[in-house]
Amino acid sequence: MNLNELKNIIGECNLQGEKICVQHRLHDVIEFVKNNYSYKMLKSITAVDLGDEIELIYNLFSVEDEEDVLLSIKVQNEAESIVDLFESAKADENEIYDMFGIQFIGNEDLKRLYMPENWEGFPLRKDYIQDDTRLAWNDNSDNA
Amino acid sequence: MTTATTLKLNLGPQHPSTHGVLRLILELDGEKILSCEPDIGYLHRGMEKMAEGLTYIQYLPTVDRIDYLAGCFYSELLCRSVEKAMNVELSERVKTIRVILLELNRIASHLLWIGAFLMDLGAISPFFYAMREREMILRYFEKLTGQRMMYNYFVFGGVRSDIDYLEEIEEIIKILPSKIKDYEKIITDNPIFLRRTKGKGVLEQEVAFNNSITGVNLRASGINYDLRCSDYLYRDFDFSPVVLEGKDSWTRYKARILELKESLKIIGQGLEKLKSNEKFEQNLINPLTVKLPEGEYYNEIEAPRGLASIYIKSTGGDKPYRLKWRTGSYYSVNMLRHLLVGEYLNDAIAIAGSLDIILPEVDK
Amino acid sequence: MNYLYHLYMEFLANYNIPKLFGDITFYILPFCILALALLVVVLALVLIERKLLGWLTQRKGPNRVGLWGVLQTLADAFKLLIKENVTPDKADKFLFNLAPILVFIPAMTVLGIIPYSSEFSFVNTSTNVILYLILVAFPILSIFLGGWASNNKYSLLGGMRAVAQVLSYEIPITFVVLSVVTLASSMNMTGITLAQYSKTGLFGWFCFPCILGFIIMFICILAELNRCPFDLPEAESELICGYNTEYSGMRFALFYLTEYALLFVNAIFLSIMFLGGYLSPFGVYLSNLFCANMHTAQILVYFEQAFWLILKASLIIFVIIWIRATLPRLASFDLLKFSWAILLPLSILNLFAVVIYKFISGGAVCVLS
Repeated sequence: MNLNELKNIIGECNLQGEKICVQHRLHDVIEFVKNNYSYKMLKSITAVDLGDEIELIYNLFSVEDEEDVLLSIKVQNEAESIVDLFESAKADENEIYDMFGIQFIGNEDLKRLYMPENWEGFPLRKDYIQDDTRLAWNDNSDNA
Repeated sequence: MTTATTLKLNLGPQHPSTHGVLRLILELDGEKILSCEPDIGYLHRGMEKMAEGLTYIQYLPTVDRIDYLAGCFYSELLCRSVEKAMNVELSERVKTIRVILLELNRIASHLLWIGAFLMDLGAISPFFYAMREREMILRYFEKLTGQRMMYNYFVFGGVRSDIDYLEEIEEIIKILPSKIKDYEKIITDNPIFLRRTKGKGVLEQEVAFNNSITGVNLRASGINYDLRCSDYLYRDFDFSPVVLEGKDSWTRYKARILELKESLKIIGQGLEKLKSNEKFEQNLINPLTVKLPEGEYYNEIEAPRGLASIYIKSTGGDKPYRLKWRTGSYYSVNMLRHLLVGEYLNDAIAIAGSLDIILPEVDK
Repeated sequence: MNYLYHLYMEFLANYNIPKLFGDITFYILPFCILALALLVVVLALVLIERKLLGWLTQRKGPNRVGLWGVLQTLADAFKLLIKENVTPDKADKFLFNLAPILVFIPAMTVLGIIPYSSEFSFVNTSTNVILYLILVAFPILSIFLGGWASNNKYSLLGGMRAVAQVLSYEIPITFVVLSVVTLASSMNMTGITLAQYSKTGLFGWFCFPCILGFIIMFICILAELNRCPFDLPEAESELICGYNTEYSGMRFALFYLTEYALLFVNAIFLSIMFLGGYLSPFGVYLSNLFCANMHTAQILVYFEQAFWLILKASLIIFVIIWIRATLPRLASFDLLKFSWAILLPLSILNLFAVVIYKFISGGAVCVLS
């Protein structure tokens, strides 16, 4: 990917400042930004359930300039993994998988993190039904 | 892959030196670690899910629990988000009060770490010495806020009451430097301590970036990144971030010791400011009617265990639409996967201890 | 013992008790007294350690049960006695139950061969130094047995560490003991004690010609006892409790008892080897100085001898506890390296130095014969 292609995807905008919406090829964009703009740290990945789709916000950080860049992409149930770029993405993606049920393609180690192994549903999704029967005491189901 | 010659060991979740309920699934060859897989979630309280069902003022008392050793930082983050979103300016005195309490909290947290780290290494006395000094700070907090751990002292637009008992803070900053000297005497140049920490758990800069390590651990690897330098609360304070080059466990220990001294310096300056600015005024927001305007709010702060940040998406209601915490320990725990491989079991305990992991922060 | 025997018989004759009874009880009684004394010593040691550690770490130590907490260990022991003995499901039950007994017996037996004073030495064989070394190393095997039989990984690691540690630290001890044996020309503890006698009192002790050996042996004893900074087999922050993780109730109490019995025995042995055993540090016994009556003085001397021995041992125990409050734990790799690379060569060097010293001072014939 080169700068022109990047501009095609994210349009003419400053890297610093507001959130940049990426339509597709997020992995390539992040790789480009990481390699060319010294954004060496991924502070966090935030997922927000917007109702019909889920927004992922990648917060990249440049230690030299002490500047953040926010890249956002809207996905349905699948997203590109960036574990090959940032080791810490493994932790973030796993958490998002646990809470939102997004499959990250390329991340092999996705598993239930906070929730029990056999938990159904993803708690932070807006369509999650809170009154799960397993939350009751002394039930007979074989939850973990 | 477990063959007949390797041993699978569950370190935790009930283990004296995992500082809570961390579970490390280790594969051992003799005592050498072949692989390490952290398993977390034993302390998950659903802080993010909870936020979506509570109003801001209902949520405020719970955020101290994210890190029970440094609760002030998290309530500061939530208050700051609300204040910034509603364009409320804090008065100078409130700012100073907040800085003093944050730094006292940081000292208490670092002191506990020093004790716990040495306990991991098998020395018992430093733990009690550090606890003794931490006790002074906790006593002060108890007097001021009524709580020893979950202070819930910061409110939207100010603090719950004016700061008081300043002579006790003066006492603390008078006594603590000599006590720190004592710790250094018993710990820093101890040959056994040096053997167990020098050159152990080396955290290269690239690895630290890649694993999103922040805070003292990053600064001990030679990166000058202290969020306090750009924090608006600390704008008028004169201090220098502690940056050391050693990259190993010993440097992380030393960095925390030096950071204690920096914090004391900041508190000293804060006390001076309080004296010159006696007028206590607040711009309190009525907590019952807090409604953040529609939008996204992102704030961060330098917590004792690395960068802590909060992301709030609001749709204009009295409850957050989505609230996300980023905590430093979470990334440190995930880095253990790489850092511990190839080490011996008792070195592994020392290395994991040196990263200052606390589990409520990991599990949220 | 003859003197005491006559005294005892005289005492019994006064009450018209048959001589046969006296003949039998005279040889059994000391062991009973010793077993009781050991219990008292261990309970006291535990209390002292907790008190001292408390003071060294800005705490009060036990202070609730009894006056100043003196009954605390008694209460703890009672609690352990009435607790359930839990055997893990998949443990090797026979070995699991055997280990605490095997660990306790040698530690008790070894007390019988120690000369507490010139008359109180119950089993006095000519080479009881060797016997001592064997008996003291024996509990470690039982520790490994217990660690293995528990079917717990922490226990197994703890047991493995204990064996590796004792194997490497036994050897320097043996060399140091050899050098002391050379100096004293005796393999008997009473002989070694007497060889340190001089008119000048403490200047005759072997810790002066053999200062290197004294230091080496002190370090090795720390390792043998699994004391800080060599407490890897039961490193709390790593292995939870090492080999006795799975033990509870009385079995745990046996391990605990053994640990402190061995601490006491090792400290006594070190004082016999280097600090003149039951000899007075002044060259003359205080009883002889201050007591006019010959007979009373003679009896008082026996008690004074025991007093000196236990005082010296207590000083050593105090230093051991002090070290525990000060130092962090060694790394396991350093632990072995320290023994093989530093202590072993030094102990051999020490042996050579002592042999040369002995040769020059004219005792070589004695050694060879």
